[in-house]
Amino acid sequence: MHLFLTVLSYTFIGTAVGSLVSFFPSLHIYNVAGIALLIWGSLQNMLPEIGMVPFFTSLIVAFSFVNSIPMTMLSAADESASAIILPGTKNLLLGKGYETVIMSGIGGLIGIILLVAGTPFFYYIMPYINNITRPNLAWILLTVIMYMIFSEWPKGAGHGKTVWQKFSGAWANLFAGISAWALSGILGIFIINHSIITHQMAFQNIMPVFIGLFAVPSIIQNLLLSFEIPEQYVSKESIDLDFKTIVQSTYSGGLAGMLCSYIPLITMGIGSIMAGAATALRGDKVFILGGGVAKLLYYVGSFLFLFVITPISPFGFAKGGLNIIIKPYFYPMENDYFLILSCIVLSGFLSFLLLMYLAKVAVVFLKKVNFKQMYVVMLILVTIFIYYLTGWNGIFVMVVSTCIGTIPVFYHCRRSNLMGVLLIPITLNMAGYGDAVADFLHLVNM
Amino acid sequence: MKGMTHFMSGLAVATFFARAVHMAARGGNEDAQSSFILVLGAVYGIMPDTLDFKFGQFFSLADYDIDCDPNNPNPQKMAEQMGKAMEEAFSKNKLVKVQLYPMQLGADLWRQYVIKFDGETNEVVIVINEIVSMSQVPFLGTEPKENRVGRYKLKIGKMLETHGRPSAVDIMSGPQFGFKREGERILVEFLPWHRTWSHSYILGLLLSLPVILITYLFHLKYWYLYGIISFLGFAIHITEDLTGHMGGSLLWPFVQKRYNGFCLARAGDPRVNFSVVFLAVTVILFNLDRFTVNVIHLKWYAYYSIFFVVPFIIYLFFADRFDIKLQQKEGIASAEGVLKKYNISGQDAVDEIKEEEDTVE
Repeated sequence: MHLFLTVLSYTFIGTAVGSLVSFFPSLHIYNVAGIALLIWGSLQNMLPEIGMVPFFTSLIVAFSFVNSIPMTMLSAADESASAIILPGTKNLLLGKGYETVIMSGIGGLIGIILLVAGTPFFYYIMPYINNITRPNLAWILLTVIMYMIFSEWPKGAGHGKTVWQKFSGAWANLFAGISAWALSGILGIFIINHSIITHQMAFQNIMPVFIGLFAVPSIIQNLLLSFEIPEQYVSKESIDLDFKTIVQSTYSGGLAGMLCSYIPLITMGIGSIMAGAATALRGDKVFILGGGVAKLLYYVGSFLFLFVITPISPFGFAKGGLNIIIKPYFYPMENDYFLILSCIVLSGFLSFLLLMYLAKVAVVFLKKVNFKQMYVVMLILVTIFIYYLTGWNGIFVMVVSTCIGTIPVFYHCRRSNLMGVLLIPITLNMAGYGDAVADFLHLVNM
Repeated sequence: MKGMTHFMSGLAVATFFARAVHMAARGGNEDAQSSFILVLGAVYGIMPDTLDFKFGQFFSLADYDIDCDPNNPNPQKMAEQMGKAMEEAFSKNKLVKVQLYPMQLGADLWRQYVIKFDGETNEVVIVINEIVSMSQVPFLGTEPKENRVGRYKLKIGKMLETHGRPSAVDIMSGPQFGFKREGERILVEFLPWHRTWSHSYILGLLLSLPVILITYLFHLKYWYLYGIISFLGFAIHITEDLTGHMGGSLLWPFVQKRYNGFCLARAGDPRVNFSVVFLAVTVILFNLDRFTVNVIHLKWYAYYSIFFVVPFIIYLFFADRFDIKLQQKEGIASAEGVLKKYNISGQDAVDEIKEEEDTVE
């Protein structure tokens, strides 16, 4: 009974903390988890060991639900940018931000159902797939990189009187995409081989890079744009969703989620692009709802796979930031899977309830907040955060990363190209070429 | 088919070579060397469309640009320009290319229009449609109340339209049409730059030669295998495209003609694309396993029955039940009504242009 109550209470606490921190834009849960682990370590005599995994699991479950609020409502673009923005932002500009957030949350609930229903698949099929693919991960990752490069097509080609006019106009975004891959890849090789962050903060080695590549450019983009968000409509009773859309979204989002929850370094963005191409389904609702499904599988499913202990997968096959952060602190046992799955179901249900409430709070907040000021504050806070954890070296890394991270913002190529920062160096390392490349760049004896 | 489908097919074909699978592995056999040889199959699998959409299309300069005023579209003038270009192709017996452009009204607003080459009445018909958003969703009631349809009846030659379907132009970019004389007819070629030289087995062979040369010069073991896999990746793309309508110039540069496909499936059909991708994944896993780790203890027919045939049947059931199929844009439906009203013959309207362009995305 004591065990049950401990797990239950840490699930509640994790969900509450996760929901609260996920409400703030530009704050990633993996950064929060890293800090939380430091705090947990300093209080380990007071906190029960059994509560740790339910707490961190609930943290990530809550994030995968509540994060859709800042993603949708606090990351607005103006009308002129609508040619390149996502359906969530488009809905916000139409006053349907609340509906979008709830739709994404419903996607999260579907994701949880998939995790429960997929348990036989995870136990009886996935370990075999894992055994077959693990020795081949290097070329599989290169295949993903090549697909991402080759599948970015010219935008708006056809204008111009000469070959060069047509070619240069269309290739602007393609060239930007390739540059984003190359530069982020080189940055990744530098960071992985020669970190300039102190060893005390080594667990957050990649944090300034990610904040520089993704968070700061988004803040800059929002600071540069002029926009006015219309009043958001809060539907009182129902959301406009039909069963056909739910099935299509489950299919598309489930496939994307499985790809990015299993294959190392494949983010939700990359997984969604690949699954979207494979399923060839269109539609804003499918995108939003499917995105909710994929997000939950990506963040939560990838961690759950740590507990799929079978004779041919004795260490599970988890991936993702949370797995890396907390794996050194505990050893998963065979029956932990069902305990963690129960925590996920409970936390998911609570997170969805909190999401409905917090989305309404966000709608009220939207009416009162000055966006420009909010983003200036966010930029200052993020900079202080990086300085506090990693010092001037971290700030330097963040600034360099920001320069690279703004390429997709200004040249309209895919932002997921920036994942080259991890994909390129780790693919090289997996294939055994990492040292040779580092040596070539004179990083070994620096 | 879509780029992803070709990409995965090329990869699947590469995995049939046991030696290549051994080379690609990180360990476990004497040939293991973490080689990226299998990736070549995938890259060459997507190569023909890459050549077309990233290079080839920019070299196809149009003889005439039809870029009408978005705020005051004149369909009659557009139809006349198009028709006169066709007559020129007939009278001068040369290829005449016409470039159409989208009518952009705002950042997220475009005026959709439909082009129909009516072989029965020998007319070019342009229908101005509703305003659409970036998602190609029409704003109902925004179609022009008057001056909506332009028609031009050819004075010379008889048009030969191989697709038989109207095409819609709306967002981002417009298509190019090529007209050329064939006897007493004027052949209408949709995207004349697409699936021509790039979709040739001969070109595939030529493009695999540099791979062979480089791997040979670098003294790579089994250097010839890199070239074979590259060629087969390229060839599977061209072969898969033959299942659709447009086909390809299979033997360019020896035969320039763009052969029609077998019309078995539409290129953008999600059911076809997903089925091929799923089959490719099933094949890849089976080949990787049998050539390396051997954890699947099933005969090939049992494996494919359980992991491909059964899920495929379930998928088809769900696809049928939940409307997973080629989706027609809403705006096209209204053009169909207009075409009927003006007694213009033809089959169902299909957004051929977007579908073809979407196949690579």
